Amino acid sequence: MTNTDNPHDLYTSQKDAFWGGVKEGIGAPAVVLFAGMLGFGAMGRTNGLDLWYTGFCSTFMFALPGQIILLDMIVSHSSVLAIALAVTLTSTRFVTMTLTLFPQFGRSVKDKKSFGAVHLLAMTAWAVSMREFPKIQQQYRRSYFVGLGLFCWMLALPGTALGYLLAGLVSKTITIGLIFINPLFFVLTFTEIKNSWSKLAVFLGCILGPIFYSLDADTSLLMTGLVGGSLAYGFDRKFIRKLP
Amino acid sequence: MTGNVQLETWQLWVALLCACVGTYFCRSVGVFLSGRVDQNSEFFVWLTCVTYAMVAAMTTRLVILPQGLLSTVPVYIRILVCLSAVIVMVWGGKRRLGPALCVGILILLSYVSFYQSP
Repeated sequence: MTNTDNPHDLYTSQKDAFWGGVKEGIGAPAVVLFAGMLGFGAMGRTNGLDLWYTGFCSTFMFALPGQIILLDMIVSHSSVLAIALAVTLTSTRFVTMTLTLFPQFGRSVKDKKSFGAVHLLAMTAWAVSMREFPKIQQQYRRSYFVGLGLFCWMLALPGTALGYLLAGLVSKTITIGLIFINPLFFVLTFTEIKNSWSKLAVFLGCILGPIFYSLDADTSLLMTGLVGGSLAYGFDRKFIRKLP
Repeated sequence: MTGNVQLETWQLWVALLCACVGTYFCRSVGVFLSGRVDQNSEFFVWLTCVTYAMVAAMTTRLVILPQGLLSTVPVYIRILVCLSAVIVMVWGGKRRLGPALCVGILILLSYVSFYQSP
């Protein structure tokens, strides 16, 4: 994470980097995202929403946990205000996800295209980019990210629509398998984290997450992030990196 | 609209619109602040910790406390599936994301089809 100008010439042009991102997307990230959206489409149908609504969610929110909370709260008859608040609170992770990824773009982060690119940010593209960015020259990182993110985003609507149309047709067993691909992928990406502070943060996040969730579901992610992350940082700094 | 939805149709769309705006708002705040964060600073390291803790909490929630269909699978099976996949992933020090995902999902599917088939 600290090596900003890596001498490896992985890509030679923006176009090259873009297609490198697309290529990275084809495979596990695509499967994970598509499976997640299939599951969401099926969920939309079984909860009695129409295809337009379910598809609009996936295309314009493009944040599966928030989408699931939205659906969940609609079914449990929450008020519009409560829904908006809960979804936005869950999305606060995007602030720090962006803040940890976009500064790695270098100078290009400041131009307006980054405001378009950020809509493509999801946990899948974030996890893959965090892993790959140290190997990519700084000036090509955004193109790589857009290639990866755009490819994943374009799968959201067809995945949702297919899930919606297939709901009830495929067996319960298959549906359970599809739903679990998403969390399993994130668990597996954690094994690829290199630095000590992030490993500690993941460990504490796993422990504290359910505890804060049982205290207050809406704010639990934010609280786990702040408390778990700060503890991990403090511990790492004091005992592992031993900075002055 | 059919089924168990109680909100009026226009309220549903207002809720969705607010959810979209709220989500994009969080994303754009991140971009807006990105130009001011030095990626070699200690603040950046702290932020990385906060983010990983949030993402880990999100994942744990999906594994331990899922909603709907997944909650019909016992929690120890879900954890066992994750552990098996992680073992495949790290065994021998090579990156085996595809095989690890496959093994995990296959274990889950075998459990569900043996013990929960109707």
